Amino acid sequence: MTDDFTPTWEDVAQRYGRKIYNFAYRLTGNPDDAADLVQEVLLRVRKGLDSYQPGSFEGWLWRITRNAFLDGVRRKKRRPESALPDGDHHTLGSSPSPDEVLASVRLSDDVQSSLLKLPYEYREAVVLCDVVGLTYDEIAEATDVPVGTVRSRIHRGRKQLRDLLTWPL
Amino acid sequence: MAPLIPDSERRGELFSAYLDGQLAPGEVTEVSDLLDGDADAIAEFRSLMGVRRSVRLLPEFEVPPHLLPDGHLGDRLSAYLDGELVTLEHRRVTRHLVDCSDCRGGLQELDRARIAVRSLPGVDVTTTGEMSAVPAVRHRKRFIAGGIGAAAATALLVGLALGNSDQPAFSLDDLGSRHVARASAEPGFAVLPPSMEVALP
Repeated sequence: MTDDFTPTWEDVAQRYGRKIYNFAYRLTGNPDDAADLVQEVLLRVRKGLDSYQPGSFEGWLWRITRNAFLDGVRRKKRRPESALPDGDHHTLGSSPSPDEVLASVRLSDDVQSSLLKLPYEYREAVVLCDVVGLTYDEIAEATDVPVGTVRSRIHRGRKQLRDLLTWPL
Repeated sequence: MAPLIPDSERRGELFSAYLDGQLAPGEVTEVSDLLDGDADAIAEFRSLMGVRRSVRLLPEFEVPPHLLPDGHLGDRLSAYLDGELVTLEHRRVTRHLVDCSDCRGGLQELDRARIAVRSLPGVDVTTTGEMSAVPAVRHRKRFIAGGIGAAAATALLVGLALGNSDQPAFSLDDLGSRHVARASAEPGFAVLPPSMEVALP
């Protein structure tokens, strides 16, 4: 999305809804929390678009998303108790074989549960990088930290994940 | 004096950033040197690559449909009719109307309701305090300026409502002249999609 373009609320919902949902799901491991976050973010975007000044739209959007997520965490004051297996959800893509499904579910469960064990800052950086697909600069803007800190958090997050994963890489 | 970041930590950061394509130009050479014949470094690089891949391969979920708008124009239809949308938004709505028969139908209904309301006689209060009806045309005068855009929108709608023989024939020339009038009154107003631009004399 170009820097001088202000999208409508519907554009944001259609274009970023899935990314926001997946970001939230991977941070929380909980589809209900992810759905709540999407609603909250879209509400904030709708209110905020009137005062949005064309600039880095992605940075603006992900700051809103992150703040909404953190506000939700503070409100609930609890960590997710368990993550549902990925196989229970409607995912995108073609239909793999049953063995592939089983392997994929086991691996993604392992990765998801390991993600949830990371300190929040590391988990957030890894998810924004590897799930959402932001650059280090965009993550730095969204999380309000220097790029060097982003780089460090992503690496430390991956290093801890490596130690936590039981599935052979 | 010890370095700020331990060598092992820096090496891992460089590998991670390299995998993400986020290194500065000089650092690429550094990564290449680190990997040159160092089995430990190569093992670390591979393990980080595996972790990164496993996170990136996590399945992507569909958003539950009820969380997203249905993609229709909703309350923007009224704003469109009233000529209240800014240029970019107006073009976007026009494009949507070309493809969406549901929204065209909605726009037609809104337009009929709008015309019915605007056709109501106005009310004047006499010096004795009694109210009396005045011709609708007086009541409607104040809508004329803003109504040019609405008329243009309506004309466009008529043109878009393919196969609807109850509606008057759509004329691009007529639409163009209305839009030129609106554009003259309001500099910067551009309601025509690029494919329907009318050359000014």
